[in-house]
Amino acid sequence: MKTSKFKIIFVALAFLVSSFASVAHGQTETPPKPSEPHVATIPTPVEKTLSNGLRVIVVERKNVPLVTARLMIKSGGEVDPNNLAGAADMTAELLTKGTKTRTATQIAEEMEFLGGAIDSGAAWDFSNVTFRVMSDKLDKAMAIAADSVLNPTFSQEEIDRYKTQTLDELTVNLKEPSVLASYVANRVVFSDEGYGHPLSGTPESLGQIKQQDLIKIHSSYYKPNNSILIIAGDITPSNAFALAEKHFGKWVKAAPAEAKMTTRVGGHISDKLNLDKITVVDLPGSGQAAVFVAKFGIDRSSPLYYQLTVANSILNGYSARLNQEIRIKRGLSYGAGSSLASRRDGGIFTTRAQTKNESAAEVAEIMVHELNRLASESVGDVELTPRKAALTGNFSRELETTGGLVNQISQLALYNLPLSQINSYIQSVQSVNNNGIQSGIKEFYGETTAQIVIVGDAKQFLPDLKTRFPSSQINLIPAAELDLGSAMLRKSK
Amino acid sequence: MLGKMLFIASAIALFTASVLAQTVTPLNFKERTLANGLKVVILQDNSSPTVSVQVWYNVGSKDDPQQKSGFAHLFEHLMFKSTRNMKSEMFDRLTEDVGGENNASTSDDRTEYHEVIPSNYLETLLWAEAERMTNLNVDEQNFKSERDVVKEEYRQSVLANPYGRFYDAIQKRSYAVHPYKRPTIGNIDELNAASLEDVRLFYKTFYRPDGATLVIVGDFEPAQLNAWIDKYFGRIAKPEGTIPRVTLQEPPRTAEQRFVESAPNVPLPGVALTYLAPPSKNADNAALKVAQAILSGGESSRLYQELIYKQQIAQEAAFLIDDRTDKGLLIFYAIAAGGKTPAELEKSILVELKKMQSAPPSAAEMEKAKNGLITEALSERETNLGKGEAIGNAVIYQGDPAEVNNSIEELRKVTAQDVQNVMKKYFTDTNRVVIYYQNETATETTK
Repeated sequence: MKTSKFKIIFVALAFLVSSFASVAHGQTETPPKPSEPHVATIPTPVEKTLSNGLRVIVVERKNVPLVTARLMIKSGGEVDPNNLAGAADMTAELLTKGTKTRTATQIAEEMEFLGGAIDSGAAWDFSNVTFRVMSDKLDKAMAIAADSVLNPTFSQEEIDRYKTQTLDELTVNLKEPSVLASYVANRVVFSDEGYGHPLSGTPESLGQIKQQDLIKIHSSYYKPNNSILIIAGDITPSNAFALAEKHFGKWVKAAPAEAKMTTRVGGHISDKLNLDKITVVDLPGSGQAAVFVAKFGIDRSSPLYYQLTVANSILNGYSARLNQEIRIKRGLSYGAGSSLASRRDGGIFTTRAQTKNESAAEVAEIMVHELNRLASESVGDVELTPRKAALTGNFSRELETTGGLVNQISQLALYNLPLSQINSYIQSVQSVNNNGIQSGIKEFYGETTAQIVIVGDAKQFLPDLKTRFPSSQINLIPAAELDLGSAMLRKSK
Repeated sequence: MLGKMLFIASAIALFTASVLAQTVTPLNFKERTLANGLKVVILQDNSSPTVSVQVWYNVGSKDDPQQKSGFAHLFEHLMFKSTRNMKSEMFDRLTEDVGGENNASTSDDRTEYHEVIPSNYLETLLWAEAERMTNLNVDEQNFKSERDVVKEEYRQSVLANPYGRFYDAIQKRSYAVHPYKRPTIGNIDELNAASLEDVRLFYKTFYRPDGATLVIVGDFEPAQLNAWIDKYFGRIAKPEGTIPRVTLQEPPRTAEQRFVESAPNVPLPGVALTYLAPPSKNADNAALKVAQAILSGGESSRLYQELIYKQQIAQEAAFLIDDRTDKGLLIFYAIAAGGKTPAELEKSILVELKKMQSAPPSAAEMEKAKNGLITEALSERETNLGKGEAIGNAVIYQGDPAEVNNSIEELRKVTAQDVQNVMKKYFTDTNRVVIYYQNETATETTK
């Protein structure tokens, strides 16, 4: 059910547990105090590297008879050749659409008979095949997954079918203000670099991709020594290692192609956001406007990672500043938040909200104000302590499911971070104080400029936008003239 | 199902994870009813130091006041505002700020509120849920700003989503008289018509212990938990009178009805075929759930294989059960592939329907469907929140928490013949509403 869009949007406010008082006359009560906390245990991953270089990581958890497994290639959409945006994603998606011995229908049929579902695709920095099954069916399911990764055929018929479907999906996405704004934000931040294009391609690039391109991506990057297998759930490590050897042991090692890298030179300090131009995509008749502020982010391995993660949590979350100001205080949106997507080679930081068209400029102004306030005002412990608790609470809850465990371990393994960080995450968050937030944010704002991106019915907010941002250049692009394949964002005339 | 912050664009996209299975360990819960009528269901699991607290109220958008659709959902948002002893957003202080979470959702038949918290906060949250069951005290300013939030939620889910008006139309067109015809989210005009006085009246009428079920799952010590429940919920007085209930019955449909809906920015047209379903307690629902898995569960399902993979006429195709305590909906739904029409989709859907009616599914399809349903049920049980929701749904939709375990047995017993029988029984030509959805500037006329 691809059209069901489950958007969980977190937002925020910040007052104190101890500060509530009664408004009513008569008798009042205070809530009972918490008792001593019970101690949580986070499972410890164990790992082994097979002789062909495949790294296998296992986390055993017995409470439910399920296993989630993911085979991850350490290359994703960032390796798309020039003008072939979407090629890496197409390669990964087509893994499950036919092998030397199974048709697409047979793969779906066999996996679903086991009660599971198999998903494949590329993200930024990695491609993957993931499945979840009852633990007694893991052997059979892994056989299907391994066949998909090792022996895909990339038949012309499946390529054509995939292109048609992906074009239709793009057609839908381009009418959704927040999805479109997110594509545009990637372009304004990354220009024509690896993370700049839409991950699944553009209508033009999809047409250019040929079977040979997919075979080349597969033969260049899909190597055991460029891959990680992660297995979490109701299985012992020794059994899991044996299954990994059985299904992936014969995969032949070879030097994977080097992923391209770019670096940014920072080193400046700034106590406010350096705002560059505003990009507006006009989508007449749109029921709301999507408002983003976007800026080049940080590497996942950056020393600023935990400082900026905590800084982001001051802005993002139900009770964090953006939702507090935009939703809770002013009723301007169903939800406002921010995200810090940190990758191998940089990343993207965004704030985002959908609002009625006429409020778009006001929401943009609030976002910029809040971003500046983060650098210019210190964050007191009465605000910081609960935000850190919210962050560590989210992390702990994600680890409750086998799927969540696999997600967290994937991130550490992909970026060559010690797996022990899964056990030290809470401590790392707790150790960030106000000084760390301030120094991290000032360094972050000094590195690169930020841009505002708004997608909506432009005539309803343009005059107000010019009034509120008199010194900013506005790049107005009618949706019909938008070209996501170009760093210029415009179709050439 | 509209919530405080979980935004579900498609009201019909609620894939109710059905519970069935050979290997699912039964949930060993305990239940009791307090003197004031509050039902209590508790399930102990000390494997992690968290606990989920949930309150399920028997009130939903079918109980919206006349000409004020969207009210029950708006009210749900207001339950996070001030009470006699709590400031607005106090629930966030007691959950999010200490590493927990909270949320709520409203659908046609029920409104649920839940928290997941470190277990040392259990007593605090029991106090807080009891507090908002009795002492809600919303002021005019909170009411208006939260109503603005809900209006933005409406714009986001209905107006900005290219298919939002489609899901809205499916609700409106599928019922003749039952209040289910009013979408849960309401609309701007009727939200504007709501007043603080309506809030007071709705609260008094529906938010009472004998209209609610308290579900607690996770890390607790039962004797201590029961003492706290007695202390904080037991002191709530037994209310006088009874809760008014919707008694209107949706009459059987007597002839096919067809509608064409248009909206701006619709990239690809869609079609929905809806049929009135039996109420959620009806025994036929087990077979319908297996039918749903066969038609629509994954890429090997019949609709995916035919409409999306082979014929390539649909970008999306699904069969959904919109379960309700009165007559629900059985919905075939598809979005066209580029260049294809709603008429082509309708024709192919009807061919698949006919196949289900003319022969029972194969043994392999039956096993595949059941394996998929078991795995879904297991996955729901990975968390305390998921287990609590499974219990809450059993209480609301089956009238008995024991159904969380029994329904697994019921699904296991479904035969291929049962599936064919329910497909013949409910999917008649006269029980059909057909809705075409297209871009408002489309020049072609769809029949």
